[in-house]
Amino acid sequence: MTQSTTLVRTDIHEPQLRFWQRVTWRRKVVPWLFVLPILLINLIVVLGPAMAAFYYSLTEWNGIGTPRWIGLDNYRRMLTDDPSFVHAFRNNLLWLVFFLTIPMAMALIAASLLSPLKRGGLTFRLGLFLPYVLPSVVVAAIWRSLLHPDRGIPGKLTEWGVPGFDRALLGDASTVLPTIAFVDNWHFWGFLMVLFLAAMQNIPADLYEAARLDGASKIQEFRDITIPGIRPTLVFMVLMTSIWSFLTFDYIWVLTQGGPAGSSEVLSVLVFKNAFMNLQAGYASAIGLSMSALVGVVIGIFILLRKRGWEI
Amino acid sequence: MALKLAAGGIAVTGISFSPAVHAVAAQDAPSITFWLDITGGSDTAECLIDGVIKEYNDLGGIQVEVTMQANGWTATQTALAGGAGPDIVVTPGPSLSLALGKAGQVLDLSSYATTYAWAESFTPWALDLGKVEDQLVAIPNEIETLVLFYNKTLFEENGWTPPTTIDEMTALAQTISDAGIMPFAHSNAEWKGTNEWFVGEFLNHGAGPEKVYQALTGAIPWTDQAFVDALTVLDTYQQNGWFMGGLDRYYTTPSADATAALAYGEAAMKIEGTWLISDSMTFFTESGMEWEWVPMPSFDGSEIYDIGIGSTYSINANSTQADAAAEFLSAYFSAELQAQMVSHCGSPPAPVTIPADLLTDLDPRQARSIERLNAASAAGDYGYTTWTFWPPATETYLINEIERVWAGELTVTEYLQGIQDSFVAETAAGNVPPIPAR
Amino acid sequence: MGTLRRPMRSAKMLPNYVVLLLLTVFALGPLVILGFNSLKGTAEIGRNPLGFPRTFVWDNYPEAWRVGNFSTTVQNSGILVLVTVSGVLVLGGMAAYSLAKLNLPGSGPVMLYLLIGSSLPIQLFLVPLFFLWQSLGLVNNLFGLAFIYIAINAPLAIFLLRSYMVQLPADFEDAARIDGASEWKIFTQIVVPLSWPGFLTVGLVVSLAVWNEFLLATVFLTNQENFTVVTSYYNFTSRFSRDWGLTSAAAMMMVLPIIAIFLVLQRRFVEGLTQGGLKG
Repeated sequence: MTQSTTLVRTDIHEPQLRFWQRVTWRRKVVPWLFVLPILLINLIVVLGPAMAAFYYSLTEWNGIGTPRWIGLDNYRRMLTDDPSFVHAFRNNLLWLVFFLTIPMAMALIAASLLSPLKRGGLTFRLGLFLPYVLPSVVVAAIWRSLLHPDRGIPGKLTEWGVPGFDRALLGDASTVLPTIAFVDNWHFWGFLMVLFLAAMQNIPADLYEAARLDGASKIQEFRDITIPGIRPTLVFMVLMTSIWSFLTFDYIWVLTQGGPAGSSEVLSVLVFKNAFMNLQAGYASAIGLSMSALVGVVIGIFILLRKRGWEI
Repeated sequence: MALKLAAGGIAVTGISFSPAVHAVAAQDAPSITFWLDITGGSDTAECLIDGVIKEYNDLGGIQVEVTMQANGWTATQTALAGGAGPDIVVTPGPSLSLALGKAGQVLDLSSYATTYAWAESFTPWALDLGKVEDQLVAIPNEIETLVLFYNKTLFEENGWTPPTTIDEMTALAQTISDAGIMPFAHSNAEWKGTNEWFVGEFLNHGAGPEKVYQALTGAIPWTDQAFVDALTVLDTYQQNGWFMGGLDRYYTTPSADATAALAYGEAAMKIEGTWLISDSMTFFTESGMEWEWVPMPSFDGSEIYDIGIGSTYSINANSTQADAAAEFLSAYFSAELQAQMVSHCGSPPAPVTIPADLLTDLDPRQARSIERLNAASAAGDYGYTTWTFWPPATETYLINEIERVWAGELTVTEYLQGIQDSFVAETAAGNVPPIPAR
Repeated sequence: MGTLRRPMRSAKMLPNYVVLLLLTVFALGPLVILGFNSLKGTAEIGRNPLGFPRTFVWDNYPEAWRVGNFSTTVQNSGILVLVTVSGVLVLGGMAAYSLAKLNLPGSGPVMLYLLIGSSLPIQLFLVPLFFLWQSLGLVNNLFGLAFIYIAINAPLAIFLLRSYMVQLPADFEDAARIDGASEWKIFTQIVVPLSWPGFLTVGLVVSLAVWNEFLLATVFLTNQENFTVVTSYYNFTSRFSRDWGLTSAAAMMMVLPIIAIFLVLQRRFVEGLTQGGLKG
């Protein structure tokens, strides 16, 4: 790099040819030199292994020995012969439904209540956002003790006569998934809220003034001004939340490892178990690839809708 | 830049695997490395290091450098694959050492076995478990069994007597449950593998070890009616909520809470390995109640002990100190050192003959368990724990899918059919550990 | 009218305050209980699992620090954060500079690649990456993991920094270029100082992501000496599951520094996270 500096200094007396070489260097080569290091690192870590995963998904491989080519067998097994895959996929869909409704609603309500406040707005924003910065293992530990069937909140509720809480919610196949989703949401929804709040504060105040003069109700204001006003953010977060719903891992792993009886398994948990516990790395790669495909489908739907003229 | 960083990373590896870097011992004595797993707690490991290992090193011969590892097996596996790892390779059981042997990652110990006459000191069947195609690739350690622990104080207060048959145990569990006490303190919240203790115990004790032997050697299928009946009883126990007061609690109660429930008389019994004695019986000191054990009841009342091997020891194929490692292993598995480890550190003994007079300061209940187990193993009259004698994929299936039986998604027969299918496939692949003849 | 409106408005806002207060209790209540429990002995937690401690067991903290091996794990997490953040800021900053200011030929495909790369699920490349790292001897190596963190956090950092740099006026750079300064010099001496708030934001966001990261740390660091605060705490909770006082104290020690930094720099935190749409 220092060399090019000297070139710059002396080039006034150089012939035209050298000048153009220098320009090419500076215009074409130098920009790439700045990008290459991080690009190479990313290629080594992400793209290379991702392509390898595609190859491994076509083999039987325990992760140590030589992979044995079996064509599409892993995919056939995944789609026709593995009830746990279907079950995990169904759980991912349930997860998607939960996260597109509960946190969205909570965040929208809280943000719209918070945005007109003159006093205390910052304090509320800080308080509601705080759980988001905590590590998943701590959140899980907090809630594991709060959800203890005797000593935690369910114990208190049972004491007060509320039915349905006299059991370990994380140990019961019918309650385990919503319980984990609840815990994850406790940590997550404040993040959504802050995003929506930021978007709402950009809506011009005179729109609300005008609506009030027209005698619009709070609900009408929310529906006709707030929602359209934050639409780009809302749509973006629906997209991101959908993608994350297919990738979710931490909370389920830390709280139940997919149990009991596989009832809280999602695709990422299956990948982990197959790769690192059952030593079926080839099959795990196939499931991992199916997760990418799902993410691709979500992104594809959004692109398609946008092309169809939806304002998203 | 990227290349530079990568190179930096590799250079650092040498340092981060420092356990494998040999410290230079005094007067050029060979030095060997050895990792002790401390996933369940480090008391025993600390005791071994400060006791027998230190004394051994003080002799001035071979210097043994021990590193404590949580998740020791994963760390070992990783290091071996990378061509590194300690001189002495410890695995959590024969099916894994079998895999290492097949992959050529550990040495054939046959010649050392001759040199040090291991055949004489070890229980006859034990060394067979470490063999792959006539090569001795691993030495089994930590012989253990499962028994029925019970809260003696609670039993005496209520006038209950410990059961000897499974039918008696079932009737007693009903009585205990009616008295508002949990019959069994069992949970798998921290260790999914807990499931297999019960599957294994009910198979061996409900159908008898002879049947299990026949199935393990392929003479009869796992779908035999005797096995179906045995696991149906286990399922009844779970459906009645006898394990920890319900399946939900079985899945979520921390294991220490379960042991505490037994110690404080909230639960009456516990089917668990003899390791429980050294690990957790301090809870009884806190509660002031008494514990005792009887053999796990069986269908006909006969006394059956299922043999389990908690770990195996091999020598790394990459070791530059194989001779020294073998010499140390020979000392480590001598009756004297084993007796010390059992007496002072509470570690389960290796399958070697330990004269009773060497076992000092031992809780009489523990001494009795070791004595009975040794007698059963010497006589060849024992049952089979799933983690020692089952091939790995079948064991995984057995642990995971039993939860589907308990959830009502699979029948016992379907579950056993699944075991059968997996077992047949693994027999064909040569993954079944060698089963000593009865 | 004007004087009447103010109390009217506040009164009208009362329901807002009530609902928000309830939500705040929901958000912070569990943390407060965690704080309470971190000061209780095991016996008291059994009798009084949710309330204010009756006797304070301050010993839980030094004890948890010792048993949880925090002196090592904090150091490990610190190294990971430090290496990753410097790597991301230096290399990501360079790339952002090139994309924002140098008119990189082929910048479109590069941006597209980074966008696609950042939406690939970790699970897809986790397995081959693990075995690649294993064969390179980079498993159980803090720098090996930091390398992965740099790669994964880079796209977001590049986008954020680029959008920051694009807004900078070109006057200074042009002047420097005419004076014959090299691009490296312009980058380090003009662009970086001018966009330091962007670097600070990215640094914070990446630090938080690395400090809290769980999946990769579990897979790539299995050796106890290399445990991070998070992985060590995960094992710690199962080892001392009965001693809630102790595990709560350990949890408090993990989160207090994050909370403190968050409160001091919350504006940057929120900004960075909202701009990037990042999930922890």
